[in-house]
Amino acid sequence: MPELLVIGTSHHTAPVEVREGLALAPDAVRRLLAQVRADHAWDEALLLSTCNRTEFYAVPGPAGPADPAADLVARLGRVRPAPPPALPDGALYRLDDREAVRHLFRVAASLDSQIVGESEILGQVKTAYHQAVEARTAGFLLNRLLHRAFRVGKRVRTETALGQGSAGVPQAAVELAAQVFADLAQKTVLLVGAGRTAEAVARALVARGAGRLIVANRTLYRAQQLALDLAGESAGPSTHEAVGLDDLPPAVARADLVIASTGATEPVLTYDALAPVLARRTRPLMIIDIAVPRDVDARLGRLEHVYLYDIDDLDRLVERNMAERRREIPRAEAIVDDEVAEFERWLASRQVAPTIRLLRRRLRGIRLAQIDRYGKQFAGADRDQLEAFTRSMAKRILHHPIALLKHLAADGATSERLATVDLVRRLFDLDALEAEAPAGEAEAADEAEAADETDAADDA
Amino acid sequence: MPGLIAVAGAMLPLLYLALLVDYAATFFLRTRTHARSPHLLAVVVLHLGYLALWGMHAGHPPVTSTPEVLSVLALATAAVYGWVELATRDRRTGVFVLLLAFLFQYAGSFAMVGHAQDAAGPAAGGLWTRVHVLPALVAYTALGFAGVFGTLYLAARRNLRGHRFGMLFDRLPPLEALGPMAWHALLTGFVAMTIAIAVTPLMFGDGGGTMSARIVGKIVTGSVAWAVCAAGVFGHWLGRWTPARTSAVAVIGFLLVMALLAVSGVLS
Repeated sequence: MPELLVIGTSHHTAPVEVREGLALAPDAVRRLLAQVRADHAWDEALLLSTCNRTEFYAVPGPAGPADPAADLVARLGRVRPAPPPALPDGALYRLDDREAVRHLFRVAASLDSQIVGESEILGQVKTAYHQAVEARTAGFLLNRLLHRAFRVGKRVRTETALGQGSAGVPQAAVELAAQVFADLAQKTVLLVGAGRTAEAVARALVARGAGRLIVANRTLYRAQQLALDLAGESAGPSTHEAVGLDDLPPAVARADLVIASTGATEPVLTYDALAPVLARRTRPLMIIDIAVPRDVDARLGRLEHVYLYDIDDLDRLVERNMAERRREIPRAEAIVDDEVAEFERWLASRQVAPTIRLLRRRLRGIRLAQIDRYGKQFAGADRDQLEAFTRSMAKRILHHPIALLKHLAADGATSERLATVDLVRRLFDLDALEAEAPAGEAEAADEAEAADETDAADDA
Repeated sequence: MPGLIAVAGAMLPLLYLALLVDYAATFFLRTRTHARSPHLLAVVVLHLGYLALWGMHAGHPPVTSTPEVLSVLALATAAVYGWVELATRDRRTGVFVLLLAFLFQYAGSFAMVGHAQDAAGPAAGGLWTRVHVLPALVAYTALGFAGVFGTLYLAARRNLRGHRFGMLFDRLPPLEALGPMAWHALLTGFVAMTIAIAVTPLMFGDGGGTMSARIVGKIVTGSVAWAVCAAGVFGHWLGRWTPARTSAVAVIGFLLVMALLAVSGVLS
């Protein structure tokens, strides 16, 4: 049985109708984890459920299910309101140990996301971890693994440009605005038209702290509704108002950023109406025209302070950003490789056999140091007696801890074993000992000590 | 001590070059754009130590000759940039400003070769000369910043208006930050240059009234540079010039001041 496994499905292996059939709401995740905790089938467990993936990370217990995938599907069926859909071949994947670690790190780094580099996934992994902590199904191994995964996500975001640049039209509009305006909180955003794309752009700007909002629409009532709705966002604008399209010129004069997206067939922001207003302007005005046909007279873009962009510009910006992200993938993968190797080293150090060897080495070191210190007071047979006495004492001290470790290695739960090994290593500072000791010489002495230990066990 | 000073003088351009590489990596790879930069502080401290040693050995402040002035300008540029970086927590313009610091120090170290360490240069005169030197140094440094930020503003604006999402796009601070930076640097440079020029007639008395080619060259170039900067400052204030026009003037002022420095160096 592996020490860690992941079973799941994602956009790589399953179409959306399968993924949505397996996705769990937060309450259902909590119920599933509570069941896992109650029936002891898994030592540790965590469920990551997003719109693009449902993944179950688990540490098998001594009496774990024979078919983990079937177990997971059955559990999903018990906590979902509707039974899970029939899974096509290959929809579920299972990865063990090293590959499971790598998979989680790639997920946290957003390398496995549908839009590579998107920032939401790390927050979703954190939420999944907090749910597992609350349900008390995250134990020693998952705690360590998830904190490492957060570190990987953070490293990839800070050491590479994988997450930089916008990946969608609303974010591209925000990115453009950030090239001109230093502080959106001081700016007035004018939304012309109340269509879905314009609303999405406005929401993205509001989320980035846009300070004031004016919504202009053919129907004033709809404009008022949208303004109120956007003002209700958690980071909503400090002021908001609605105007009709007849009041556009004065509204444009007050605005710093105009998002135009009406369904009109002729330009709504015309050169003749706005050029006199904008000619007197001294601060920049950014106009983002996402309507097709366009809402803004292209000649306005020639005015001194006007920065005019259309939907093609936004698409080009998104494509450019995605190309830059793709170029960053090898650097991000190298970070993942590095962290997987580091995690493996840590996991290997938490195995029983090397820990027992180090424990013996630690006791031998203490024994020899004490003989060195007090040995001068003894000579001849007394000195031999001292040696025998200390050796025997060390054997007896080690007997029960080593017996416990061996028992855990044979029959114990993975997380209990890892936690015990970790405790022993910390109590005796074995990590430091491992780092300082020359391997060959120390291991030969370890073997001799092990032989003595066997004798001691026989004596006992 | 002379050996130590010579070695340090040779090392400083290399240290600035290393800093430049570090900041170039930040700019091109877009990583650590808001990280703290202990290396910059280390170079500034080392440079300060070098100039202190130089001053102790020479027996006068290291601002009397062109090589000394160039080295002080490199230090001032790096130190002021360090302060700006600390205030804005943004390293993205560092590569451009530190390029200037590197060029100052490289030219200073190059000019230092064969220059006697204890020889006082032409600006080692009396009280008014010293009063002139301080605002002149501030003016050079500030106009250096005005030139860099002005250039960046114009380049970023050109890209944005031309809908070009190339190398500079999203690697620079926003226009609304670059414009005021160029303006404030131009204003500081203009005020400091005005003070330095105002003291010039009094300083001229220190030198016994001798009108060398170097002084004539400095007066002519300095006057033109001052006039351009004055046009930029008053155009911005009274003529409500656009940030683009003010930035263009800042760049021209910077180039003229560099010409002034070159005249001073070549004719000394």
